[in-house]
Amino acid sequence: MSFVGPSSSFDPLFAFLSFSLLKVEAAFYSLPGSSVIARYVKSSHQNDPGRTVLELILVVFAIRTLLQSRTRNEKQQKHFIEFDEKEIDELVAEWTPEPLTPQLTATEKSDLAAIPIISGANGAKPRVTKMAKPVLNLASYNFTGLAGNEHITSRAVETLRRYGLGSCGPSGFYGTIDVHTKFEETVASFLGTEAAILYAQSMATIESVIPAFCKRGDLIIADKHSSFAIRKGLEISRATVRWYEHNDLASLEEVLMTIEKEEKRRLRRRGCLSRLFGRSRIQVKYIVTEGIFERDGAMVDLPKLIELKQKYKYRLILDENMSFGSVGRTGRGLTELYNVPATKIDMIVGSAAIGLGAGGGFCAGTQAVIDHQRSNGMAFVFSASLPALLAVSATEAIQILSSTPSILESLHENTRAARAILDKVDGITIPSHPASPLIHIYLKGYTFNPTQIALEESILQEIVDEALSQGVLLTRAKRLRGQEVNEPKPSIKLSISGGSGGLTKKEVEKACAVIKSAVAKVLAKRR
Amino acid sequence: MAFRSSPSRSIFKKKSSPSLAPMTSAASYLSALSEADARARGLSKSPTSTPALSLSSSITESSEDTVLNELDDDNRDGLLFPSCAPTSEQVFTTVHTEFGHCSNEDYRYVSQHIPGATLEVVEKDPPYYILLTTYISYLILICVGHVRDFIGKRIYPGAYKHLMPHNGLAPLTSDFDSFYTRRLKQRLAECFAQPVTGVAGRTIVCLDRFSPDFGQSYILTGGRTRALNISSYNYLGFAQGRGGCADAVEESIRQYGVSTLGARMEGGSCDLHVMTEALVARFVGMEDALISSMGFATNSTFIPALVDKGCLVISDELNHASIRFGVRLSGASVRMFKHNDMKSLESLLRESISQGQPKTHRPWKKILLIVEGLYSMEGTLLNLPAILALKKKYKFYVFIDEAHSIGALGPHGRGVHDYFNVNPRDIDILMGTFTKSFGAAGGYIAGNKNLIDRLRLHGHSGPYAEAMTPPVLTQVIASMASIMGIGLPSSLSHPTRTLYSADGEAFQHPGPAAPAMLPSWINLPPALASGQEGETRLRRLAFNSRYLALGLIKLGFITYGDPSSPIVPLLLFHPGKMNLFHTLMKNRQTPIVVVVVAYPATDLVTSRVRFCVSASHTKEDIDVVLRACDEIGDVLDLKLGIRPSERWTVDEIIERAVELVKS
Ligand SMILES: Cc1ncc(COP(=O)(O)O)c(C=O)c1O
Repeated sequence: MSFVGPSSSFDPLFAFLSFSLLKVEAAFYSLPGSSVIARYVKSSHQNDPGRTVLELILVVFAIRTLLQSRTRNEKQQKHFIEFDEKEIDELVAEWTPEPLTPQLTATEKSDLAAIPIISGANGAKPRVTKMAKPVLNLASYNFTGLAGNEHITSRAVETLRRYGLGSCGPSGFYGTIDVHTKFEETVASFLGTEAAILYAQSMATIESVIPAFCKRGDLIIADKHSSFAIRKGLEISRATVRWYEHNDLASLEEVLMTIEKEEKRRLRRRGCLSRLFGRSRIQVKYIVTEGIFERDGAMVDLPKLIELKQKYKYRLILDENMSFGSVGRTGRGLTELYNVPATKIDMIVGSAAIGLGAGGGFCAGTQAVIDHQRSNGMAFVFSASLPALLAVSATEAIQILSSTPSILESLHENTRAARAILDKVDGITIPSHPASPLIHIYLKGYTFNPTQIALEESILQEIVDEALSQGVLLTRAKRLRGQEVNEPKPSIKLSISGGSGGLTKKEVEKACAVIKSAVAKVLAKRR
Repeated sequence: MAFRSSPSRSIFKKKSSPSLAPMTSAASYLSALSEADARARGLSKSPTSTPALSLSSSITESSEDTVLNELDDDNRDGLLFPSCAPTSEQVFTTVHTEFGHCSNEDYRYVSQHIPGATLEVVEKDPPYYILLTTYISYLILICVGHVRDFIGKRIYPGAYKHLMPHNGLAPLTSDFDSFYTRRLKQRLAECFAQPVTGVAGRTIVCLDRFSPDFGQSYILTGGRTRALNISSYNYLGFAQGRGGCADAVEESIRQYGVSTLGARMEGGSCDLHVMTEALVARFVGMEDALISSMGFATNSTFIPALVDKGCLVISDELNHASIRFGVRLSGASVRMFKHNDMKSLESLLRESISQGQPKTHRPWKKILLIVEGLYSMEGTLLNLPAILALKKKYKFYVFIDEAHSIGALGPHGRGVHDYFNVNPRDIDILMGTFTKSFGAAGGYIAGNKNLIDRLRLHGHSGPYAEAMTPPVLTQVIASMASIMGIGLPSSLSHPTRTLYSADGEAFQHPGPAAPAMLPSWINLPPALASGQEGETRLRRLAFNSRYLALGLIKLGFITYGDPSSPIVPLLLFHPGKMNLFHTLMKNRQTPIVVVVVAYPATDLVTSRVRFCVSASHTKEDIDVVLRACDEIGDVLDLKLGIRPSERWTVDEIIERAVELVKS
């Protein structure tokens, strides 16, 4: 609705309106107990508008009528156009929807065909369909070499016989099996937190943890190149998100300072209002980042991050999907690597599928943090709990890790050996942290440019194919182009393995030599 | 064992069971069985739930068998041994506590829609005084809660620390946000998150616990109670640690290990994934299917790849949280229609198509209707024929979440389309989970090949979520194949449709799995491979479901949902009755564990107890449940349905069960 009029003539009216509004407001707040109501309404609006409505309605016993009228509201919107039945029939007949899904393009088809299929057990040297000999595996997550570990498989079989396979229920309804509790206790004591909670899938874990604590109106500061799952968690939470430059804590501090300034300014401006509302509410504020970034293998400087979060009064959600079970003396992750007590981090999220070679994800923190998730973590409440034998396998894996430091030693040695070769290869750059067993390879000379993604990806795929033909299984980092925000630069993603079930140092060196020759061969052809 | 005499035992516990029972041998188990048989036959015709039987004399020394080790030393609760003679096949392949032995062929029924039968469920309203007192209960609970908060914060600030700002940090959860959890749900804490151990089969072993602080925390006493399990989503009874499926799973762990180490698109795909996907597609009668390692994530990560901005999702108001999660991530607009109400759906369709997108009035790119086959809180069945009729006229796409209906409905267990005898290809997308009927975990989406391939590439799970693990894959393959039967289609006696798979191969639907579709190392025992056992399970589930639902109605209770549904909600209304019902059921001579649900999972007033019937229950188990409900229903004033003159007595119901089910 456009409003064109001699605004001056309306000024007195507006002045009167705002004056009377203030009057009413002041009168309302002079009532005893009104600030409680105001706070109540305010916080309920932020969380779940439905619930305040419900409680209010309860008081007047009019719940039904009001609930029913909720769906009618749409019609009273100003954009609603009245049609009669015949017109609607015509419109319905006219409407032709798009096909449910467009046909696959040729690239999509070849992408699909290029996905390697392992035949039989996966591990350090699996067989790939269409290949005669076993290959050296640098594609699958097997950091600690626990794949096929005999102790774990025999415990898994025992568990199968005692517990069956599926849990057949969410944890609230007879799906809390003693082996889940055992895993939670084990992981909590492994990391040194009060408690932990086990989810049935690692991707769903972070997607649930974020919205369990952050709601509309809350503030989250996140890394610009956070993983896809974190982004989805942020989206679901509906919180206000502010970004800082990738893995740049100076940029993070800048953002934190700006926000602090804004807050002060807002407080000053709202001086009178906040006086009316009583003590102003402290905003819920979180920093969300990853330990080792899934997108490029970079590692966050944890001590500095903790310093910042404490200085500016934020809570920290640290996604250790890639760093749990892959760095630190016994695989406890960044907290062990930097020797920081895990209690300084409010929520540590990790994966039992990647780091422990089993399945599921977990979140560790204080008892209050964990208890809250037991009734608010969406994927925890609304999904069946993890099969018992996977929980037992994960528990056993932790026990093996904590009693066998040589596993991580060999992993780190293999990582160093790989980097020693790869760092010198021409035509590629490596953005990953030297200690990270997750290594990304970028093509050199391609500044990141959205139009070149397809070209870069096809070159990388050629390298992957070439390496496979020489007996080394690699994978491009697969992305959901178009659905990602800040598209990640195309890369090849290597997962180094160690321990008794991983590759030996010699094999890692051999595999890296193959990568070197494959890169050289493919790039030479391109030139 | 040291815990046994611990003084801190729950006062509600009526008998203590040792934490580890004495070991028995297989021979003694069998001899106990025959003794139990003899006893049961010696008793009256309608066996009571508790053939008093002491086993202690027959207990000898150890055996490696873990299941038998779990046997308690007596059968006072009537859960250990069947009260009717099992067949020898049953004795040797299954354990009665996991999968009940029921050899009476009368206790079978076929789950299918009778043409012409009405699907409209008349919802019975409770008397007015019930509604009124329910509202008042909530009002009191809310008031008391607020008063407790108000006083508690002043007197015990320590206990409210997590709700107050400290250290300059906002509280972890606002007191408003957690009010429901702290002040309402906590009063029911006893009913939720009961720790258990062992197989969630026909019976389940609960770890006894007590709370020193009114439900804030629990301490395990070390005792265990075996209870009749009418709560797990174990529709076809495949939650088993014994039997052909478990043997196959064991083999797969030995061959494949426990994990495939990664996401499907990044080195975590193995041949078992490919086989499972083909088998699932064949099972549901679609061209192709994909699987994902978690049922919740199947919805939350693949729906965003189906619809986006400019598309409209029409969703039943009672759809599962995972569907809402996925839709919210997709960015599509959402409209809801009244639960299972086809008129509401049609008027919503007319309105949305004619109005187009909000503000711009551009036509919608596409409209996706997302519904569930069987609703997990209501037990209502999707009105599939009506939806397909609307689909013809309004050209929307249909997505059916069959989490609860797959395996549980239809003469061949293929879900709602099988139940209504509809061609699956008339539906665009079939989604389901393996958590329920198949005793596994994870979910699938089935549809035409192009669609599935697109979802494989564009769904979030492909590159970012862990792949399904080999033991789970094997459980899916083995249980699914035993429902289908393995063999050649020539011998089919029921009418089938000829459908084509993605590579142009014709197959009969619903029909058996081709032997080549399974890994060569899976050797199912003949009863499973022939599909005969699968069929028995389907028939037993159908019988049990109808028996319980119709029995409860005849007793005078208000239930929701279709009688064919294995989910049977019994309405309690008052929040206070939930705890009582739960505790009374659990403290019976034959302990029964039940699920009670209330707001926010249901409407505020319609708190209910939800039974999930399983094929593993015997008719006698359902008798036990009916008897328990009958007694507790009188105590708690729950018989608010039909008038006393129309009711049957519980003995009459048990006597005339077969007649009742066939009615
Ligand atoms: C309709 C529906 N969809 C999806 C799910 C999630 O399945 P899962 O428990 O396998 O994660 C459920 C589970 O309760 C459900 O009821």
